[in-house]
Parts: sequence; C-alpha cells; structure tokens
Amino acid sequence: MADLARAGVVLQRVKRRQKRDVGRVVFIALMLLPAIAALGVYMYYPIEQTFHLSFMRSAGLGEAAFNGLENYKFLFGNDEFRAGLLHVFLWAFWSVLIQLPLSFFVAFSLIAYRNKVTQPLRAIYFLANIMPSAITAMIGLFVFSNTNGVLAAFARKINWTWLGKIDFIGDPSLAFWAIFIVATWTYTGFPIVYLMARMEQIPMEIREAAELEGARGWRYAWHIILPMVAYPLRILAVLMTIGSLKLFDLPYLMTRGGPGDATKTLGIILYNQGFVNWQYGSAAAVGVVIFLCSLVFTIAQFSWQGRGDVE
Amino acid sequence: MRQLRGPRVDIGGIIITIVLVGFALAVIVPLILPFFFVFKTRLEYSYNPWSLPKAIRWDNFIQAWKTVQIGRGMLNTVIVCLGAIACTVPPAAMAGYIFARYRSKVTEVFFYIILAGYFVPIQMVLLPLYKMSVSFHMADTLPGLFLPMAAFGISFWTMIYRSFFRSLPSELAEASRIDGAGHPGTFFRIMLPLAGPATVLAFLLVFIGAWSDYLLSLIMINSQSNFTMQLRVAQFLNAYGVDNMPRYSAAAIISAAPTVILYAIGHRWVLKGTLAGALKG
Repeated sequence: MADLARAGVVLQRVKRRQKRDVGRVVFIALMLLPAIAALGVYMYYPIEQTFHLSFMRSAGLGEAAFNGLENYKFLFGNDEFRAGLLHVFLWAFWSVLIQLPLSFFVAFSLIAYRNKVTQPLRAIYFLANIMPSAITAMIGLFVFSNTNGVLAAFARKINWTWLGKIDFIGDPSLAFWAIFIVATWTYTGFPIVYLMARMEQIPMEIREAAELEGARGWRYAWHIILPMVAYPLRILAVLMTIGSLKLFDLPYLMTRGGPGDATKTLGIILYNQGFVNWQYGSAAAVGVVIFLCSLVFTIAQFSWQGRGDVE
Repeated sequence: MRQLRGPRVDIGGIIITIVLVGFALAVIVPLILPFFFVFKTRLEYSYNPWSLPKAIRWDNFIQAWKTVQIGRGMLNTVIVCLGAIACTVPPAAMAGYIFARYRSKVTEVFFYIILAGYFVPIQMVLLPLYKMSVSFHMADTLPGLFLPMAAFGISFWTMIYRSFFRSLPSELAEASRIDGAGHPGTFFRIMLPLAGPATVLAFLLVFIGAWSDYLLSLIMINSQSNFTMQLRVAQFLNAYGVDNMPRYSAAAIISAAPTVILYAIGHRWVLKGTLAGALKG
C-alpha cells in the first residue's frame, strides 16, 4: 500500500512537472513575443523591403517595375554618390586615426594620473555626447561661421584678419574638417568612458606588477595597458566605421552636404534621393550599400573576437 | 625608486593634469557659449559679443518660446520620450530575463536574432519605415515616430538586461519557485524589482536618446503641430542661420536643458561601468 501511495505521489509530481513545463514554454514565448514582434515588424521586414525596392524602378509611392541592377549602376556612375562614399571612408579613416588615440590618451591619463582635479573630468567629457545634434551643429556654426561666428569675432577683436577671412563652412576644402572637429568634440566622450571602464577591469595585480618592474608613464601605457585593451579598441574602431556609414545629423544640419558635394555622406544622399527627389529605388540601393558595409565590418569584428583575445 | 625621485613633485602628472583640464574646457566652453549671448539684444551682440551682458533680459527666451513655438514642440517631445520608454523597456526587460535565465538552444537563436538588430543601421530602412507608417495610417503621428524608435532600441537594452539578470544570484529565483511562485510571479515580483538599477538607467538613456533624435523625426513628422523640439530648433537654425544668435541661444538652452539636468542627476549611473558591460554582448 505504502509503495502504491508513493508511486501515486511520484506520478502526480511528474504530471505537475509536465504541466509546469507547458507553462514554462508558454511563459518563454509570451516574454519573447513583444521584442521579436517589434524587431520583425520594424527591422527585419523593412530590411527585406529595402533589398526589394533597390531592384525596382520606382518614384513616389506608386507601383514599381523590376529594374535589375540599374539603380546600383546609376549610383556607382554618379559623382555625388562616389563623393559620398569617399567622404564616409575618409571620415572613418580619420576617426580611427585621430579620435581613437585621443580617447586612449585621455582614458589612460585619467586613470594613471587620478587626482582631485582629474577625478570629475570624466563626467564632463561625456557631456557633449548627450547633447542633441541640433544643438551641437548649431554650436559648430556659432564657432565657425565667418559672418557672425565666434572665431571670426575673436579674430576681429585681436586684429587677426587672416583668421577672419577663412570661411570654414563655405570653403569646400575646409567644411569637412569643420564638421569633423565638431564631431570629435561631441562623439569622443563615449570611447573615453568605454575605454576607462575597460581599463579599470584590468586586474590590480597586473598593474602593480608592472609598477614594481618600474614601468611607469608612457612605457607602461604602451607595453602593459595597450595590449590589454586591444580588443575594446578594435570594437571602437568598428563602431566608428559603422558610425561614419550612418553619418547624417551633423553634416546635414551644418552644411546640407555642401558646398557642392564637399560634405555629402551616404545618409544625406539617401535622404535626398528618398525624401526630396522621391527616387525610392536608388535611395533603397544606398540603404543596401550602407547595410552591406556595416555587415562586413560587424562580421569582421566578430571573427576577430574569435581569435582568443583577452576579453 | 620613489626616494630617488626626491620630493614627490610629479612633473609629468602636473602636465597631464593641465592637458586634461584643457580638454575638459574645450568640451565645456562651447556649451557655455549660448549663455554669453542669450541675455543680449541683437545690436548689443553684434557690437560686444564677448562682454558680459549689460542687463539680464529674458526677452530672447520669451521670443524663442513664442516664435519657435517651443512649448508645443516640448510637449510632443515628452510624449515621444514616454512612448519610446514604454515600448522599449518592458519588451527588453522581458526578453533579457528569458535570455539570462531560460537558456536553451531555441532561446539562443532568438537571442542572436535580437543581438543582430543592434548592428542594423536605421538609415537603411528609413524608406520602408515611412511607407509602412503611411499604410498603418501612422504617418505624421507621434506613435509613428516612437514605435520604430523603440524597436531600434530594444536590442541594446535586451543585452543590458540579460547581463544584469545573469549577475543576480540564481538562488533567489529558485527560492521563489520553491515557495510556489509561478514563472510570471517570480519575474514580476522578485526579479524585476531587483533589476531596478538597470531600469533606472534604461529610463534615463532612452529618454535622453528620444529627446535628442533628429533623423527619424525629420522623416516621420511633417506637420508643424507635430514637430518635436529638435525639429523646431533645426527649423529655426535654417530660417535664421546664425544671424540671430541671441534668440537662437535661448531656443538651444531651453531645448538642451532637460537632458543636461537629467545627466547632472544621473551621470553616476550612466558612467559607472554599465555602458561598458553593455557592449560586451
């Protein structure tokens, strides 16, 4: 009897377990549903649509005819698009070459030379990062505008007429750099904070051992810290490259991509083609180029990650 | 070593400190520029841009508020921010919890689907997004703006919640299950409250991000009555250029104030490692 009763209890338990397992699956499904649905509707379906559109001849919202690779042929034969592509890669190149070492220098110095003065600076460096781009672009124009700008006013004040004559925004060879300076000012806060967080994760023993060995200052930064943050640095390089593919706000707000095509980016070309000229097909093709380039860099990052680096 | 250096005057440290302070000034001075101009009339500005204002005039703020219609823009922006928070944070918290606590081959697949979304540039899908919002009858409405905005934030916050839930001791969930709480009860009553810090951070950063958005608003919103703050400010910039800096400064200060205040309150959370943990993936 006792055995039978025990068997009954076990059976009940198993049944309950099974019931619970159904509940578990339902629970998991319901919990994942909102996120999956949102991404499906607003991300993955539109991606498919963009690919689809990019092979279509379409203007406006009307129905479209299949167009093969015509949109891509049009883009790559188009001076504006080639200029945009060039600017995007120049932007990525200079970001990695200037912003990355700068943020490494600042992050390392803030940690290695921590004192009462430098302690609160990290919060300040990040401040420009949270500013809306409509404001940072405006401040950029404030500074660089040659009619009423701060630099021009400053030049008048101290009688540096040569400085007052430079038109940072209107000169095609300088506009790119004016925007780049504004971007460096705004965007470098994030890499600094990110690198600092990564450097703080380096085990104390390594830092102390290095100090005992007499490694201090820049030798220490170069030989001990730099290899330890090689992986985060590569992530940042990839993020900067993807960021330049996406670049829109600052150049659009400051120069509209001008003068001429001097500061056109892929984002601006996409916007103009799609929402000003209503050329959906070629705009979608620009979107596909942005997407495929980001994909390549993202995959590159993950395959680097696989090479057994210290995380 | 130390004794050989003699008295502890670290020249290198002093130079570095000066350089760092210089950088900090370079960051902060441009942000203060508008305050130089905002209390001046246009005439006073064009003669003496650098002097301290002769009198504190609130005129420019009032004018900016009226001509740029910042009040209406601010209301729209607040609605967009709250909508973005409501549609980003709960789905991300729920999915992040599953990925942290109910790992299986199937959920891993879904995790990578959501993780991949982090790397999708929104620029790529602007056209279909716009077309969709037309066919959903949401073009030029505020939900038509904050829904896609939220969808593009979910990946990032799912990763944050996932790493946060993983860092909580698993005994807590087990104890609650033994006490007879079901899966939903354990999540809503035990685990979610414990994830408070992640939620505060999510509210803060989603708000700041939605507040600052420009591109998506530019695409999705057409009519003046639905313009967000940033669209208003940009419109003002286009209309007047830098010719009316004092009034422009006023608009800029009003529109930046909420993010700056939020950042001043919450920068500890924003900076403390959470950002770093997030990108680890």
